[in-house]
Amino acid sequence: MSGPLTRVLDAFEAGASSLAEVQASTGLSRDVVDASVDHLIRLGRLDARELAMGCPSGGCGGCASGTTEGTAGCGAPGPSSGRHGPALVALTLRRPATA
Amino acid sequence: MMTSNIDTSEHRHLPGLDLERECCVVPDVASPAGTPVVALVGAPNSGKSTLFNGLTGLRSHTGNWPGTSVEIARGPWKANGVALDLIDLPGAYSLDPISPDEALTRDLLVTDGPGRPDLVVVLADAAHLARSLYLVTQVRELNLRCVVALSMNDVAAARGVTVDADALAASLGCPVVPLDPRRRRGLDRLGDAVATSLADGVPAPRTRPEASDELAREDERFAFIDAAASSATHDSGRARVDWSDRIDRVATHSIGGPIVFLGVMWLVFQATTTVAAPLQDALDGFFSGPVSDAARAGLAALGLGGTWVEGLLVNGLIAGVGMLLTFVPLMAIMFVLLALLEDSGYMARAAVVTDRLMRAIGLPGKAFLPLVVGFGCNVPAVSATRILSNPRQRTLTALLVPFTSCSARLTVYMLLATTFFGRNAGTVVFALYVTSIVFVILVGLALRHTLWRTMGDEPLILDLPPYQRPTLAITATVTWTRLKGFLKTASGIIVATVCAVWLLQSIPAGPGAFGEVPIEGSLYAAMARFVAPIFAPAGFGSWELVSALVVGFVAKEAVLTSWAQTYAIAEGDPGDLGVHLTNSFAAASGGHTLAAVAAFLVFVLAYTPCVATLAAQKREIGLRWTLFGVLINLTVAWLAAVAVFNVASLL
Repeated sequence: MSGPLTRVLDAFEAGASSLAEVQASTGLSRDVVDASVDHLIRLGRLDARELAMGCPSGGCGGCASGTTEGTAGCGAPGPSSGRHGPALVALTLRRPATA
Repeated sequence: MMTSNIDTSEHRHLPGLDLERECCVVPDVASPAGTPVVALVGAPNSGKSTLFNGLTGLRSHTGNWPGTSVEIARGPWKANGVALDLIDLPGAYSLDPISPDEALTRDLLVTDGPGRPDLVVVLADAAHLARSLYLVTQVRELNLRCVVALSMNDVAAARGVTVDADALAASLGCPVVPLDPRRRRGLDRLGDAVATSLADGVPAPRTRPEASDELAREDERFAFIDAAASSATHDSGRARVDWSDRIDRVATHSIGGPIVFLGVMWLVFQATTTVAAPLQDALDGFFSGPVSDAARAGLAALGLGGTWVEGLLVNGLIAGVGMLLTFVPLMAIMFVLLALLEDSGYMARAAVVTDRLMRAIGLPGKAFLPLVVGFGCNVPAVSATRILSNPRQRTLTALLVPFTSCSARLTVYMLLATTFFGRNAGTVVFALYVTSIVFVILVGLALRHTLWRTMGDEPLILDLPPYQRPTLAITATVTWTRLKGFLKTASGIIVATVCAVWLLQSIPAGPGAFGEVPIEGSLYAAMARFVAPIFAPAGFGSWELVSALVVGFVAKEAVLTSWAQTYAIAEGDPGDLGVHLTNSFAAASGGHTLAAVAAFLVFVLAYTPCVATLAAQKREIGLRWTLFGVLINLTVAWLAAVAVFNVASLL
């Protein structure tokens, strides 16, 4: 049987649309799912972007409008440091580049 | 990319961090030589410093680790009568460093030598046990004594989760001590466990994962973590269902969610129109009355009364800028309401509802990200399509973005809705936003089933933040930032288009002198007249109405100002724009005024938003697709407007 990380990635691939669905399809506890997602982000296997109408606190690299270089893609001079509050986080798969 | 395979044989260094073995003894060490060294590690903000202070009292020393700018604390700790030297290492989620702080923690634990700690206390969070256990697992793979200090047990208990410390210790192969650093509970037990471990030999480390593939290696660790957490955690099933969960059961429900979303947005538009209407009327009266009169009087005193200067200044700039400023209260109220929804966390739920809808109809779920941005402004939304790695998805989404109703179009909706639909203005604007979503879906489905039948989808998961009470400071800041942005963008566009429109209205289409031609005989009117018959089937084929659509192709902010200019010149007085528009729509539609207005609104919603969006599209998807997009927008807008007029005329 594959490990938790692979099971979480498989759930993504299978079209789960929320962490609750990942939890249901993997049979893992929510705590392990959260830890797995965090670790997959650190590993570069998942991409996490804040979705907000203002500038995300993590700068342009974490914004849906940000460029691939991490600069502003919306015409603004740069990220606003004044934004706080809850933000929806969009998690997407990042497939490792093949040689 | 980081590596997670800890290698004790090779001392890894990050740039700028040159650690030598002898630096493991801080110069101002408080304990005598030979005192066992205990390192305290844990995630940042895990309460590690609180525990350190609780164990060492006020006898600790703080300073930079030699050769680095990393600050650590060190102090003596008497554990069960044993004198120890306690080091509070920088917070780290793992031993895979992504910062100099984490690198120091890793180097001190991994590198073998005389200054290496004799024992490591890992502070773990019982409320997020699996997250904490990754660091514990890595420490257990080192040839070190390890004791786990388990905190946040009260938080876990409040969630209905209890952690069996003995079972966890058996799984991890090291002592686990429940404690509460804030209340200084369990510190003695920790001292006992540390003293006992130090008296024993170094336990056999956990076998390090050996798989060559990084994911397989990490999976092995996480399988160990999952097994340890599962065996030690007991979920009573009475997990507290808080008010946030209760709201989400409805707000993200597959049927209830969209209904709540539509209801909330209806309330936003209804409240906006109801509260803003009197303020808007007062400002309109102020600019068309005292301000315009004062400007005319001033110009007359300068001998410029009745000249082109008065035309440009009073009928152009004052009418145009005044029209823009009347929308400030309206935009401010709406921005406040949207900021409240966003700051409370509700907008995240609305995004989940939208995403589910996109997937349900077979459109790429990830495409909803730029589309949501598009309801603010289409230009960054087109740029945001870069998050889609599939070129077909990117092109499709960039073509759909113009159908999302940006805030600039809202000014046109508001003026016409409040003028023609009175108390139902909010409902009309709400209906336009719903129509916007319908356009996105229908056009998306049409393109999906004709041009891009083989388009795939990319997995996407939305992680909801908790609800929170909106704060005045954040709401005010967000509102002001957006209002300032709207005014800055709109004012620049308006001054430029006012001048351009004035110029075209001053140039005679036939005989006559510059600036002395009636507007009906101007180049502006001639151009609009040429286009106007196209819109006759939609009920608004008059040159006055259509001219604003031509100007609106440049930017929607300029639609109202061009009307203000046109009617001010045509009637010789700015007067009541609503009366002029009513007469024009009535005449153009053969008496079916409301049907024509509805058709006009739908056309404004669906046709090309502005040239800036076209520029962004050209940059992202190329000229060919951009021109295709213009064609789609104009075609859909015209067909929908004609359909609305003809159906509504029958009612």
